[in-house]
Amino acid sequence: MLDGPPGGGYRSPMRRAHAAEVAVVDLAVCDRCGLCLPLCPPEAIHLELSDLVVDRQACTGCRKCVAPCPVGALAMVDA
Amino acid sequence: MPDVDVLVVGAGPAGAVAAAHAKRAAPELDVVLLERDRAVGAPVRCAEGVGDAGLREFAEPDGAPWVARKISRVIFVAPDDSEVKVAERDVGWILDRTRFDAHLAALAVAAGAELLVGTEASGMTRTPDGRWGVAVRGLRGESSYRAKVVIGADGVEAMVGRWAGLDTRVPARDMESCAQYVVQGIDFDPDAIYLQFGDAVAPGGYAWVFPKGVGIANVGLGLVALKSDGRNARQYLDAWVGRRYPGGARTGYTVGGVIVHTTVQQTYADGVLVAGDAAHMINPLSGGGIVNAMKAGRLAGCTAAAAIRAGDTTARRLATYHHAWMALLGQDHLKYYRIKQALETVDDAFFNALARTVNAIPQERRTLGRIFTHALVKHPQLIPVAARFFI
Ligand SMILES: Cc1cc2nc3c(=O)[nH]c(=O)nc-3n(C[C@H](O)[C@H](O)[C@H](O)COP(=O)(O)OP(=O)(O)OC[C@H]3O[C@@H](n4cnc5c(N)ncnc54)[C@H](O)[C@@H]3O)c2cc1C
Ligand code: SF4
Ligand code: SF4
Repeated sequence: MLDGPPGGGYRSPMRRAHAAEVAVVDLAVCDRCGLCLPLCPPEAIHLELSDLVVDRQACTGCRKCVAPCPVGALAMVDA
Repeated sequence: MPDVDVLVVGAGPAGAVAAAHAKRAAPELDVVLLERDRAVGAPVRCAEGVGDAGLREFAEPDGAPWVARKISRVIFVAPDDSEVKVAERDVGWILDRTRFDAHLAALAVAAGAELLVGTEASGMTRTPDGRWGVAVRGLRGESSYRAKVVIGADGVEAMVGRWAGLDTRVPARDMESCAQYVVQGIDFDPDAIYLQFGDAVAPGGYAWVFPKGVGIANVGLGLVALKSDGRNARQYLDAWVGRRYPGGARTGYTVGGVIVHTTVQQTYADGVLVAGDAAHMINPLSGGGIVNAMKAGRLAGCTAAAAIRAGDTTARRLATYHHAWMALLGQDHLKYYRIKQALETVDDAFFNALARTVNAIPQERRTLGRIFTHALVKHPQLIPVAARFFI
């Protein structure tokens, strides 16, 4: 088996207590391109039957997904 | 749950070629190819350009219905809009990706693979007998497969790799955010591709015009968001297209991400291989990934088939795939990545000056190699990088 994923520190089960902000997606704007998924350090974003889902429990509020979205579909809101 | 030998997730170029090659290498195997979208090849998230030699390893382009245009020139556009024409024989092709991807999928089916569209993999777990149970949902409801080898050819999302415990994340500086219109009724050289650099146009990336025919082209750009002035890719594109082609009809629109990084640290796990964009197998200088994906798919399909025949699908055995890929192209991508990093230090003034010196060379003697040489004379800090590149 694997030795565990490289950079696996992100995947610690105790990864956050409370983030002040979390990312939300506007599905009317999102094009389902998938670009934001690999940008998210705690892997909190995925697509479900092509609709983007942000796991509010897993999101650390780091904002790494926001600016790269080509259409501006992601924004931060108070957690 | 249906038992299959090879389950390929994603019917892009990587997945379709992987399925075809697994089946050809071992015709007795059950090979299933899943595609989430309801049509293979649509929507198109691509500028559709490929080099001639790479394409010919997989399909014969002359007269093919999935080709849009043959390309015989490259026109570099400096930040100040001055143009440098470079003629190269047999530069490449602009594909019709919807038809091309469907053509590749049809080759897989002709080889004996089963294709299911409108069907997505939604998760996977290891079964006690050392296979993968893959949950699937879509047009026919929910079901699951048990597979000896799962090939993750699921593009930038790369969920199969994630489910298998591989690290498929990308640093923000190595993600290009792209937006593209199909623009119709515009004037340009239909035998050339145009590439424009410049901080105001596409910071950290470039903008392109890839002809699909006379007067119609894919017009898009890719940028690194960390370097942008706060606008997103679509806003940069609106500004560029508005300035360059104010009278053009924007008849189509797409966005997407291009991972300009290097191959993921590990492309295999027990019973899993990842290929194409899902494994970051993209040329980090050009952003081209179609031919890379097909080459990786061919390796992945053949490796999976041989492993199943040998009765050993452990990570140890599947590691041969990773080594073969690194020798074929992965090492080259590491070199291109270093060049990309060095280019990040040069500014618009450099590109403008380079365009002027290169335009002083007669056009028939202008080759990409000579342009590179001139770049080095103007920018000696690139020499160590270039040395690593050529040695
Ligand atoms: C704007 C833009 C322009 C580009 N221009 C060029 C270019 O000119 N030349 C070039 O060579 N490259 C270009 N690229 C890159 C190129 O498009 C990719 O490298 C190439 O498509 C990679 O092929 P692939 O098979 O790995 O992935 P993809 O073509 O992305 O295929 C992955 C497939 O998997 C499916 N999928 C994903 N998850 C699941 C799931 N869970 N279950 C089932 N199916 C799933 C997706 O729907 C998709 O069809 C461009 C990319 C972008 C975004
Ligand atoms: S990057 Fe933007 S458009 Fe693409 S999937 Fe994420 S939210 Fe949607
Ligand atoms: S803000 Fe950070 S943690 Fe939250 S979804 Fe975006 S990238 Fe992931």
